[in-house]
Amino acid sequence: MKPVKLLAAAALVVLVALGMTAVATAQSDDGEKVVLTVGIPETYDSFNPMVGVEVPDFDVWNMQYATLTDKAADDFATIPGLAESWEASNDGKTYTYTLREGLEWTDGIPLTADDVAYTVNRARDEEWPNYFSTVQNITATAIDDRTVELTSSVSDPKLPIMDVYILPKHIWEKYDAKAIKTYDGVNDVGSGPFVLDETKRGQFWSLKANPGYWDGAPAVDEVIFRVFTNADTMVAALKSGEIDVAHDIPNNSVEDLRNTPGIVVVVGQQGGFDELALNGGDGLKKPHPALLDPDVRLAVAHAIDRQTLVDRVLVGLGTPATTISPSASPAWIPEIPESEQIAFDLDKANQLLDEGGYKDTDGNGIREMPGGGEPLDFTYLVNTESQAAPEVADFMTGWLKEIGIAVTPKSMDENRLYTEIGNGEYDLFQWGWTPYVDPDPMLSYFQCSDIAKEKDGSYNNDANYCDPEYDKLYKQQNVELDPEKRQAMVHEMLTRFYKTGVYNTLWYEGDLQAYRTDAFEGWLRQPAEIGPVIFTNTSPTYANLTPIASTSDGGGGVSTGAIVGIVAAVIAGAALIVYFVRRRRTAGERE
Amino acid sequence: MSFGFVSRKVLGALATLVFVVCFNFFLFRVVESDPVGNLFRGRNLTEGQRLELQREFGLDGSKLEQFARYLEQTVQLNFGRSYTTSEPVMSLVWERAWPTIALVGVSTVLSAVFGVLIGIVAAWRRRSKADYGWTGFTMATYAMPDFWLGMLLLVTFAVTLGWFPVAGITNAGSDATGIAKLLDQAHHMFLPALTLTLAYLGEYALVMRASLIETMREDYLTLARAKGLRDVVVRNRHAVPNALLPVVTLIAINFGFVLSGAIAVETIYSWPGLGLLTYDALRGPDLPLLQGLFLVFSAAVIFFNLVADLLYAYLDPRVRTE
Repeated sequence: MKPVKLLAAAALVVLVALGMTAVATAQSDDGEKVVLTVGIPETYDSFNPMVGVEVPDFDVWNMQYATLTDKAADDFATIPGLAESWEASNDGKTYTYTLREGLEWTDGIPLTADDVAYTVNRARDEEWPNYFSTVQNITATAIDDRTVELTSSVSDPKLPIMDVYILPKHIWEKYDAKAIKTYDGVNDVGSGPFVLDETKRGQFWSLKANPGYWDGAPAVDEVIFRVFTNADTMVAALKSGEIDVAHDIPNNSVEDLRNTPGIVVVVGQQGGFDELALNGGDGLKKPHPALLDPDVRLAVAHAIDRQTLVDRVLVGLGTPATTISPSASPAWIPEIPESEQIAFDLDKANQLLDEGGYKDTDGNGIREMPGGGEPLDFTYLVNTESQAAPEVADFMTGWLKEIGIAVTPKSMDENRLYTEIGNGEYDLFQWGWTPYVDPDPMLSYFQCSDIAKEKDGSYNNDANYCDPEYDKLYKQQNVELDPEKRQAMVHEMLTRFYKTGVYNTLWYEGDLQAYRTDAFEGWLRQPAEIGPVIFTNTSPTYANLTPIASTSDGGGGVSTGAIVGIVAAVIAGAALIVYFVRRRRTAGERE
Repeated sequence: MSFGFVSRKVLGALATLVFVVCFNFFLFRVVESDPVGNLFRGRNLTEGQRLELQREFGLDGSKLEQFARYLEQTVQLNFGRSYTTSEPVMSLVWERAWPTIALVGVSTVLSAVFGVLIGIVAAWRRRSKADYGWTGFTMATYAMPDFWLGMLLLVTFAVTLGWFPVAGITNAGSDATGIAKLLDQAHHMFLPALTLTLAYLGEYALVMRASLIETMREDYLTLARAKGLRDVVVRNRHAVPNALLPVVTLIAINFGFVLSGAIAVETIYSWPGLGLLTYDALRGPDLPLLQGLFLVFSAAVIFFNLVADLLYAYLDPRVRTE
């Protein structure tokens, strides 16, 4: 009997503790500060711009470090940042930037051309991964406190865009080439609208407003990013008002949130796309011999029903694609007239295969090589880390069967997928990319030189396809300073690539986000109308938000419910104890 | 317990640890992987940058060279730096260990205490309604997947009723310190701890029940009753202590698994512990972090197994004489 009484007493203590904590935490909420809370499903890796590569890092850098030039929220147009104006030299290789007056770091030290030159030159010398493609050919010289000259050794069409994060020299020069690799980058010295305040990796990180920001102090005092490893609780927190905006909400919550008043769902496209890629045949291992025939490639391409895939696999949260999108800005995608598109047409596919002599001689529904050779059975790599991949594989298997092609699926995680593609051990796979704003990096991946050179080696050209004409156009656009001419070149190379049917872009999709309309206004989509509101290229939303005047939330409701529960539990516990004590007293008589 | 006995056990544990250290290295290299390629995919690295990263990650040289370097570093208690964050592995593990230790430690203690109590009640009144009731209840919660139970509790008490927070270990950005902070953390820990406690109650209850039923058949209990001792005293002073032996070792062994944590429950409640850290480290794979984590897990299990061994020998003299 004693243990049972112990049980009751222990339960009572626990319940009282719960009550105390509920009461204690109910009186939180320092009502004076304007706080924006962001829900995100992953944590950061490092806030050192030289080391970090994960998505959460970039929004912090966008907030803490201003850049020389900025990008407009609606179309990524180059607008002044730290530099208020700039001038080009005659040959277009040197730009002289004039910084604004009175720029200061948050610790009061003036921000000068020295900081700019220091950042650019050091990033180039030490080959910082996040900066290198922008600054590799650039030498920076500080002419005076407000003037800095950037000279490129080659014609660079990206200039005058200089969007690398300018770091404070007086903080970062304390770390030499070796020490900087292990520096976590957590400090509150910046020039952007917010700077880091508190960080707890895996839980949350917070930023505080910079009152001295050159574009005006932000209306928000504090921004807190909270990690939710459970996407459903993140959605619940958004609905209850615990967070104001959520990034990467699950597909199946979109319908529910769209029907919730006061919440806006954003399908934020930043150029991300998925493709069904064929083994182009120029890699370490050739595919099934049939795939070396351009007509067979086109037949496979004609067997893709992009609209159905978007409707059924993405539940409408995407748009059917034509070419790859090399940039977050849709301007770089060529308009391919419908008559020239590779449409979903199984009859055409069958016709192409029939004309190529790929007949089904043994009547099992699968075509064979001309002359009755190897059956057309393609190895299809399925990415287990993607929600969409297995479903797309199912659809593709069905459509390919209807044109007489069999599919042998092989499932694997992304690590192995990368290796197998590099080694050429496949015929088909589906994967995706997210491009930058400038199209050059994405375009560079499909050069002949980017095919894997050795087994298990690194590579970017996962089409395993080499087209010297593409390479030629790439090199041309790489140094073309006239924006219109450059765009024309890019459109031409993308159309060329598209028409081979080797790399079939399925859809353009984006980040799923949702925000509350009752707490803040001024949400900016970048690019306009189609982009996400947060975790965009320059994340202009944070500095743009203003609070909507609101009454205090119902914090009392929580503690009332808890108090009622505790009181009930206390009474029940007391009754139990009385009961058992009585029993014990009479135990002697009973036994 | 003789010194010889103890030292034999300790040496055995150390030998196991050494084996684990070596095995760890090869375990993660069984599958060919390219951490630099995986972690920096599509980031436009130059060949020079790639080679430099390989060197920094200690991935250059032959497997044997890497192994020698690994052993040398481990002996110096240098577990390297994480590939993804460049932070020393041990500080990363330390930072995330406390939430796991708190959560799983508390749950283990609670489920052991309550489980044993339930087992005692169930055994002493076996085949009564109380017995069937308690045994049925604990078997039901034991059989439930812990993440499902967690979701259920979360949706009911945190989302619908709002009595508890939906995620995390603290209220982000709050300035609470001292007692208020501890209470806040306790408030956040209530549901995850409840989930784990309920999930593992059955283990202790059933073992204790079976053990006590065995003990109840012993003659010395009949003698105790004949002497006139009250039922409760017979149970608590004579039966239970002897029945506790298997449970004691079970508890000691379960403590060893405290660190490996409860990744499913941690994920449900966004509890920033070692479980999720391990899962994230598998991308890449982040070899130093994985090696460090597995070493820590193995060391905890080995240590507590040793404790269980010695404890059992201490409690039951019959075991020592072998």
